Amino acid sequence: MPETSLIEAHGLGRNYPMRQGLLGRQKDVWAVRDVSLNMVRGESVGVVGESGCGKSTLGRMMMGLEDPSIGSVRFDGRDIAGLRGAERRRLARRMQMVFQDPFGSLDPRRSVGAQIADGLRIHKIVPAREIADETTRLIEQVGLSSAAMTRRPHEFSGGQRQRIAVARALATRPDFIVADEPISALDVSIQAQVVNLLIDLRRDLDLAILFISHDLHIVRHFCDRIVVMYLGRIVEEGPAEQVFGTPAHPYTRALLAATPSLHPRPDATGDRILSGELPSPSNPPSGCAFRKRCPIAEPACAKAVPPLEAVEGGWRAACIKAGPRPAPDETKEKGRP
Amino acid sequence: MTRAQRKLILPATLAALVVAVIVLAPVLPLPDVRSMDVPNRFAGPSATHWLGQDEFGRDVLARLIWGGRASLFIAVGSALAAAVIGTVLGLLGGYFRGLVEFVTVRAAEVILCLPPLLLALLVVTILGAGTWPLILALTILYTPIYARVVYSATLQVRSLDYVTAQKAMGAYPLRILATTVLPNVMPPLLVQISLVVASAMLIESGLSFLGLGVVPPTPSWGLMIQAARGSMEVAPMLLLWPSLALAGTILTFNFLCDRLQTALDPRGITAGGALWLRGGGSRGAVPRSARRAAAPKQDTLLEVEGMSIAAQNAGTSLELVRRVSVTVRRGETVALVGESGSGKSITGLALTGLLPDALSITGGDVRFVARDGEEIDLGALDEAGFRRIRSGEISMVFQDAAASLNPVLRIGEQVAEALRAHGGARGRDVDARVVELLRQVGLPDPERRARAYPHELSGGQRQRAMIAVAVANNPRLLIADEPTTALDPTIQAQILELFRSLKKATPDMGLIFITHDLAVVAEIADRVTVMYAGEVVEDGPADEVFAHPHHPYTAALLASVPEGGTDRLVAIPGTVPLPDAMPEGCRFAPRCSHARDVCRTGSPPTSHPTPERRTRCVRWKEIA
Amino acid sequence: MIRYVAIRSLTAIFLVWVVVTLVFMLLHLVPGDPAELLLSQGSIAADPAAVAALRERMGLNDPIWQQYLDHLGGVVTGDFGASFRDGAPVAEQIATRLPRTLEIIIAAAVIAAAAGIPVGTYAAIRAGGRVDGFVNFLASAAMSTPVFVVGSVVILLFAQQLRILPAGGYVPFSVDPVQHLKLLLMPAGTVALALWAVIVRMSRGAVLEVLQRDYVRTARAKGLGRGPILRRHVVRTALIPVLTVLGLEMGTLIGGTVLVEYVFNWPGLSGYLVAAVDARDYPEVVGIVMTISVIFVFLNLAVDLVNALLDPRISLVRR
Repeated sequence: MPETSLIEAHGLGRNYPMRQGLLGRQKDVWAVRDVSLNMVRGESVGVVGESGCGKSTLGRMMMGLEDPSIGSVRFDGRDIAGLRGAERRRLARRMQMVFQDPFGSLDPRRSVGAQIADGLRIHKIVPAREIADETTRLIEQVGLSSAAMTRRPHEFSGGQRQRIAVARALATRPDFIVADEPISALDVSIQAQVVNLLIDLRRDLDLAILFISHDLHIVRHFCDRIVVMYLGRIVEEGPAEQVFGTPAHPYTRALLAATPSLHPRPDATGDRILSGELPSPSNPPSGCAFRKRCPIAEPACAKAVPPLEAVEGGWRAACIKAGPRPAPDETKEKGRP
Repeated sequence: MTRAQRKLILPATLAALVVAVIVLAPVLPLPDVRSMDVPNRFAGPSATHWLGQDEFGRDVLARLIWGGRASLFIAVGSALAAAVIGTVLGLLGGYFRGLVEFVTVRAAEVILCLPPLLLALLVVTILGAGTWPLILALTILYTPIYARVVYSATLQVRSLDYVTAQKAMGAYPLRILATTVLPNVMPPLLVQISLVVASAMLIESGLSFLGLGVVPPTPSWGLMIQAARGSMEVAPMLLLWPSLALAGTILTFNFLCDRLQTALDPRGITAGGALWLRGGGSRGAVPRSARRAAAPKQDTLLEVEGMSIAAQNAGTSLELVRRVSVTVRRGETVALVGESGSGKSITGLALTGLLPDALSITGGDVRFVARDGEEIDLGALDEAGFRRIRSGEISMVFQDAAASLNPVLRIGEQVAEALRAHGGARGRDVDARVVELLRQVGLPDPERRARAYPHELSGGQRQRAMIAVAVANNPRLLIADEPTTALDPTIQAQILELFRSLKKATPDMGLIFITHDLAVVAEIADRVTVMYAGEVVEDGPADEVFAHPHHPYTAALLASVPEGGTDRLVAIPGTVPLPDAMPEGCRFAPRCSHARDVCRTGSPPTSHPTPERRTRCVRWKEIA
Repeated sequence: MIRYVAIRSLTAIFLVWVVVTLVFMLLHLVPGDPAELLLSQGSIAADPAAVAALRERMGLNDPIWQQYLDHLGGVVTGDFGASFRDGAPVAEQIATRLPRTLEIIIAAAVIAAAAGIPVGTYAAIRAGGRVDGFVNFLASAAMSTPVFVVGSVVILLFAQQLRILPAGGYVPFSVDPVQHLKLLLMPAGTVALALWAVIVRMSRGAVLEVLQRDYVRTARAKGLGRGPILRRHVVRTALIPVLTVLGLEMGTLIGGTVLVEYVFNWPGLSGYLVAAVDARDYPEVVGIVMTISVIFVFLNLAVDLVNALLDPRISLVRR
């Protein structure tokens, strides 16, 4: 990679102890396991997977909001777990977060301006007398009028609140933003507004964005690189075009096939539908966690967790039968007259 | 000022009045509370003694007002002291959790293991009677209650994203607690304070009554009642006045607390209850006025024409759905698609008579053709009438299966209920049919799942169980309200497949599929009805509508789904208008890039580009 | 489930231990000599000889850990020593008086539940209406009136004006069942009134909340009638919090019937406690406080377990 990494996660794992049975045999439940991920400045990485796959926990660990059980996160070359006090705070300025629920992410009792200005005050981004001007600039940057400053969050719609949340994140002039399902609570017609805003900001401010979502269409549209997670592990990672165009892992293919499309295949049959449900993280199958639902599983899959191996340069998959195959979408396009 | 806030005025004024009289006792022109007048003992009301004289000839009114001072001072003093200590403990415990929680909240809660009056007695045993020991005892007593209330409120607030955002910002914990958490836990705290004042007065007066509280000759209501008991037969009024004063004051504070609670609780049930549960109405037969013989078209199942739904509240009416028309034929799947606020869900609820109490159908024609060929006017049905056709004729699947299944009943029982309600199967037949239904909806191991509780199933399995309940009596029309929205993609695909297989098994069943997801519509629907801001804007066969939308809203929605791979998504500017601020003319005009002046004046008429299609855009020809 | 019961039982035992220790600490670690504190009356200093004698009797000259073990041992064996006042064994007194107090509480709980749950449910169904407003006011008034006020007024009315019930006192059931029940009626009714108010408000709130739940809508969508929906879906679920509150309130009452027993001259446990507190009879106070606390803690445990039986979700909640 030509550029040095801005943020670098290495072998991240997060476990939660859980007791089972009367005598309390302690057991570790891994929400995230053995995840390594590098991001360079200005890069957008999409993390996709179904609920319970660990994508939100990964995002919180990358932000330093949750400490990894094992592994490390390095930001600009420094391990964030080892930092405390003022140094930790200095780093906090450079990483910000945008949340899913536009109604829970803003304090209902404080004005929008005050909440955006928080970051400016805490990190003394601008001198005290310029705070009002800077807040105005931020609000206008996300496409709202400066009159919004004195109003409370409940006076805004979901999409506007999400813009305010973005303005608050931008206040500290971060280099890295974790966006955890930032549009999934919004209406379709509003989603596009917020996505376009994020695309513009990323380009203008050279932001690195970790975009967590279950919406494959949006991720494909927004991100340079895609990480697909299943039961706490990365199963496939690579450039968006490759991962979604010719997915190498059967789970990625299944996910793409399951995602409803405006142009459904005429030969809609049951065989593209994955059977079963996500196994319990407290009792995952041996070997590959996906094997029990996998259409191409074989006995060897039960032996060991398949390592994440290169399919091509910068494109990796964790499957012993990994290989690029046309995505279901592509076959469909060809199948159409 | 909201209604709930206006309702606060009365109790707040009352409480202020009581407090004012008691606080102002020293400056009021009252006789000395201790000056005795033994010859005039038990004298009735007079010009100088408005409420008469007690067993020592002392003025009753003066003693009443001064007696309140002790009660109020002790009650308010301990309520506030406990509030401060309890809030600090609760905030720290709730925010930091772990060890801090143990030494603050959990430690304070040990006190709750002692019955309250007992604890007060214990403190009085050690410290003796008197005002200050009482305040101390009550403070100890109420601190854990506050700690618990603030603790649980803090737990709730701290998990909210705006607190996480402050943490991510690098704010100091104490700053977060003071500026963000504390203001947000204030509502339950305020309620608790007024509740504790009332409760503290109860305990104080009780202890004083027993002679363990306020020490004579300081007047106190409890002591006055105690003294009056001795002379109850001679002067019953002496018992009545302090009793009234005490109960009235406590009632005032309880009243204040109740109103505070409704004013501060955003979910407050203002006009609650359940109209459908109240008596009256017919005995379950479909009224004759609602029946008609001939069906208009052979295979029509449901025909909604110009239906409006409004929220009625204190004389004002707010129209949420305006002149909606939907048609469902036998065996057809119609998707009702729209964003939040489009009115698609209430349209669905209206068809089964399940509208919330505040809403009602205010106009239009809703005709449903029943199994026996008769036509029923759904708009004319009452609860009992709807009951007859629910499940067997029209059935419904809801979005949130976890909430829509009763958590304390087994899955099998919930399915069996639906079967029994219509008297189809009896006894062991029911069990067999339940298992058969669960198998039909694809639940693995249906015999065992029938005995499971909803929380023991996964989200997808719960939705399958919900569907089993809905199709138990082979409905002619199934309404599914966002049945896959809360599910993951692979599970959503499974449930959509289940709907397809159900349709294959019962080819005559009509299906209304309510969703916001255009891609889901494309997967499942024969026809699509697009709703925007309470109106139908476009309607027609799904593939035709998707290929050539005739309404700019439909076109914009389709373009905002990022499947094309264009560099930039087509965003619709602005937001959906609120029901109380609907624009004149076409409701989409303010956000529409094709809008002209004509769009902003009159409501656009319905046009029929082809016999099968409808659009409510005046410019559909130009933009096609 | 077994695990849940085990954990909750252990917690209860732990809490009893904490309470026992707390009471010990309260009486021993308060600044000053407990014997002197107990004998002194206000500002009058106690007689040194009497203090010394009392110290000996209370075992205050023993090392503190010895005292603590004695205290614990007393609780475990139920031997609280002899009263200072008359030398009678405290445990015996408790054994005679506790059932009388429990009798009032149980009678009151039965009356309150039987009269409160239907009224609360009806008020909820008619929420916002006139009946609801009236019931609400009645419950608020009942909650706001102290028991000793109700008790005094009831005596004034039924015993002194109407003369249909005895003003107070106690006759064992075995001696005169009719008189016993007559005497029970007023104290139990007085306690029941306060409890009724709590039950009405609680069941009204619980029913209102359940009525808003989605599964009630599902039950309607199934085509169930009003009766089955109310019985199986609404009241059944709403009862869970109501029974919890009833149980907890009963626990509170074990120490809280003091005033009622006093007003109606009912020789129960609580009246005994007040007398003991008044006389600062240390063994008596400790004995009664311990008994009540233990019952209180185990009653709470019972409430939790019943809850877990009624609501299948609870035993899964990790604590």
